[in-house]
Amino acid sequence: MTTSQTMSLGEATTGFSARLRAALGRRTEWRAIILLVLVVVGALIFAPTVFTAYQVTLGFVALIGLIALGLTAVILMGELDLSVASTLAVSGVVMAMVPNIFLGVTLALLTGLVIGAVNAFFVVKVGINSFIATLGMLFALRGLAFVLSDAEPVPLTDIEAGISFGMPLIGPITPRIVLFVLVFIALHVFVTRVRAGREFYAVGGNRQAAYDAGIPVSRRLFTGFMISGFVAALAGVINTLELIAADPTAGSTALLASFAAAIIGGVALTGGRGSIVGTLLGALSLGILGVGLTLAGVQVDIQQIFIGSVLFIAVITDPASLRAAAGSVVTFLQSRKSQTAV
Amino acid sequence: MTETATPRETPTRQAPSETGPSQRRAALLQWIAERGIFVFTALLIVFAAIFVDGFASTVNITDVFHRAAPIGIVAVGMTFVVISGNYLDLSVVAQVATSAVIFIGVSNLYGIPLAVGLAVLVALLYGAVNGVAVGYFKANAVIVTLATTYVGLGLLRWLSGGSIFFGPPDGPIRAMGQIRIGPLPLSMIVLIVMALVLAFVLNRTTFGFMVRCVGSNKEATRLAGVSTPRVVLGAFVITALAAMIAGFVLAAFSNTAVSTMSSGFEFRALAAIIIGGTSVFGGRGSILRTLLGVVFVSVLTNILVLSNISFGWQQIAIGALIAAAVSVDALARRAAQ
Amino acid sequence: MRNIRIMTGAASLIAIGLVSACSSSSGSEESSSDASGEYEVYALLPQGTDQPYGTTYLPAMEEEAAKNGINLTITNSQYDADRQASDCRVAVAARPDLIILWPAVGDTVRPCLAAAQAADIPVTVTNSDVNPGDKDLTAGYSGPDTYGQGAASAEIMCELAEGNPTNILMVNGLTGNSTAINRRDGFVETIEAECPNVEILAEQPGNWNKDDSQTVTSEMLTSVGAENVDGIFAADDTMVAGAIDALRAQGIDPQPLLITSIGNTELGNPLVKSGDLDGTIFQSSSWDGQNAVLVASQVLAGETVEEDLFMPSVKVTQENADDPEVAPEW
Repeated sequence: MTTSQTMSLGEATTGFSARLRAALGRRTEWRAIILLVLVVVGALIFAPTVFTAYQVTLGFVALIGLIALGLTAVILMGELDLSVASTLAVSGVVMAMVPNIFLGVTLALLTGLVIGAVNAFFVVKVGINSFIATLGMLFALRGLAFVLSDAEPVPLTDIEAGISFGMPLIGPITPRIVLFVLVFIALHVFVTRVRAGREFYAVGGNRQAAYDAGIPVSRRLFTGFMISGFVAALAGVINTLELIAADPTAGSTALLASFAAAIIGGVALTGGRGSIVGTLLGALSLGILGVGLTLAGVQVDIQQIFIGSVLFIAVITDPASLRAAAGSVVTFLQSRKSQTAV
Repeated sequence: MTETATPRETPTRQAPSETGPSQRRAALLQWIAERGIFVFTALLIVFAAIFVDGFASTVNITDVFHRAAPIGIVAVGMTFVVISGNYLDLSVVAQVATSAVIFIGVSNLYGIPLAVGLAVLVALLYGAVNGVAVGYFKANAVIVTLATTYVGLGLLRWLSGGSIFFGPPDGPIRAMGQIRIGPLPLSMIVLIVMALVLAFVLNRTTFGFMVRCVGSNKEATRLAGVSTPRVVLGAFVITALAAMIAGFVLAAFSNTAVSTMSSGFEFRALAAIIIGGTSVFGGRGSILRTLLGVVFVSVLTNILVLSNISFGWQQIAIGALIAAAVSVDALARRAAQ
Repeated sequence: MRNIRIMTGAASLIAIGLVSACSSSSGSEESSSDASGEYEVYALLPQGTDQPYGTTYLPAMEEEAAKNGINLTITNSQYDADRQASDCRVAVAARPDLIILWPAVGDTVRPCLAAAQAADIPVTVTNSDVNPGDKDLTAGYSGPDTYGQGAASAEIMCELAEGNPTNILMVNGLTGNSTAINRRDGFVETIEAECPNVEILAEQPGNWNKDDSQTVTSEMLTSVGAENVDGIFAADDTMVAGAIDALRAQGIDPQPLLITSIGNTELGNPLVKSGDLDGTIFQSSSWDGQNAVLVASQVLAGETVEEDLFMPSVKVTQENADDPEVAPEW
């Protein structure tokens, strides 16, 4: 946190407009905003149903966005969690196996916390790169879901509870959307207003500096992975309730979609840069894009080509990427010039 | 590629001056981290040969090779991307399937040479797009290759219509898939040849040296005047060509090709590389290690299937193994400090 | 046809490059909605051109829809139940005249059916039926009986075994996939009921792939001892082709073994004719796609569909393998 504080102190001396410009320049959500505008305009022209049926669009945003929100907590610290989709499947299966629904939900969420803690243990205590530690968990937890469920869907005991969960609460708003918004607010407040959350940026930006500044880095990492595990388990619970059964193959399309949402939202995989708002914008863009393409009747192959292209363009238009590419071109031209000079 | 012999990294193995218990532990861990995969693979094979009925039969050894070859060919190629410090190439899934579909689908109509030519072009395109984005644009490899996977699989299914393609039952591709020398199927020979060639490239050429340098210290390498983007580009092109060959081998083995046939290859290949002991931090690793990692995973899966263990438990075993392999590596690294 | 498509496709792939493919694809976006029909129908499928079956299912479905003045919007959830639930919400929100549902995971579709009913949208089911408890929420079903296919394949096996003790290997579909589960259950339960003399020595997933099936079959042969194996059941023809290759590679003649599967595809049919594959169950993907629309248009016309329209699970053996009505489709 110290780094960014000194930064803002330095800028305080300049005028208001410069300060504003600097503040805007520091924002990481530009690409997501541009994409969102493009997608919204496109949807208004080709598939206006996206907005008349906004609760459906929101539901889809919540579907791909929820895991992405939890993932953002981990990515902000420069770590990755590949196990989220498998966590979703395992916690769903755990929940459906317990006859009592409240006990089931509690156990499922606990499962998520434990998985997060195990991930963090490997990363913090053993010292394994999170990408690899969670890769192991990706395999093992998927296997566990198959073993627990005997590789078949597990129906909920209390089907009525599931059906009523899927029904709208207020107006057209379903509990999934409410929970998504709550998680968004909680995480946004956590990383912007709560000291521990703000320290995530320091841990991701410069870990050594964070240690030196006395930030309990290990504890922050544990918190981050447990948030990610908890949110993935929450997604598993919501899915199981809404579908009235837990599918051990669940989440097959969730992992990559949630990564895409976070990245498009400007969250840097190197850590320290990004925001929960950005992830929300990323999820909104991808959600509207997905629903819009479906409503327009675009077949899934073409949808994939679209989404892949959007992701590709998003990642290479990162300011750092553009600078790097420009740098390469300059170096190339200079080497040409020096060659001709010789 | 020039043939300049380059100084190779020598393993930093200090003889402990005092043999306190902690140092002994450190030395042991480090020894395991460096030699572990050799020992574990040997132990697993000896164990299987003694306790698992039928493991040592020629037929079964061929099966292990059939398991190992396609994943292994992808993995030895992808080792370059991993060593260069770029995690992995997710798009190998799309690359292998595309190459297989072209190999069968196009050769049915226009003959094998044209099919191979087209596959090479597509592989170069994949390598170029991934490599330029990761190398020159410094974009994150995971996201870039995720994007090219989406686009690649989408294009493949859209263009091929998702059909299953199969070659004539007595055609040359079928014959290729059936060639065997002793217990060695052609696919395994291809893997061995590729491993030898790529090991030479990695260890004995300037390019290979630069790949390892970029992985261990990108900034220093850049300051030393090496074009790091070009090195990264090279690593992705090698991976793409390897994935293409894996596609050929996979298609020849079953004489069929379909866009779903390579699902899961990206993480399985990475798992083999990691278990072999190549570091995802980049800079450290070797083709031989990857090869051993592939053999280890293939033997283990083979034993589990021979023992009629269900798929779920197989996944758990692979996951636990990754955790164990990298834990030893991490603990050894710590102990060494 | 598809070869030409792939050739031109691959060529254009090189020509256009990855990024610009985006713009070239927008052409087909319109083509799917240009048939101006009287009815708007959503078809929620779990597969499409990502699977060979879906690849031949789709054209038959689209052709029949065009004939019946139905404007189709097709989704593909790739067997992700959650994704399909979301597709369902999109469909209900779009207020079509009817929804055709092919459940990705049978146990999970009740909320979708309830939502459609609440919005007064009739739902017909194709390919895999919903659970008996959910039947009252649907307006009709057409498709193969995936459980029945497994059962029919088991019946062939029972007949061939003639009451003799018979040990077989089983190659299943993708782990957790509903078709794989149903076919396995149908086969295993029929064997238990009708011919307990047939014993399943080992089973492994072949993931609907020929190469995976070939490897696991070969390994299972080693595991139980090839000399103890009298037969093989594989959950589809692609996998049985792999299993037969595995036998051959081990120098075992597949002819005397009792081998059954499901599909009668272009890969399986020649094997039936040659006698390597003793029996398979014909599954017509085009019948499936066509009748999905026929049942839907019956419902749209206000007729009540009383009975499930089952695709006839025709047993294909060497005698009828050449019959035109069981001509393989993919």
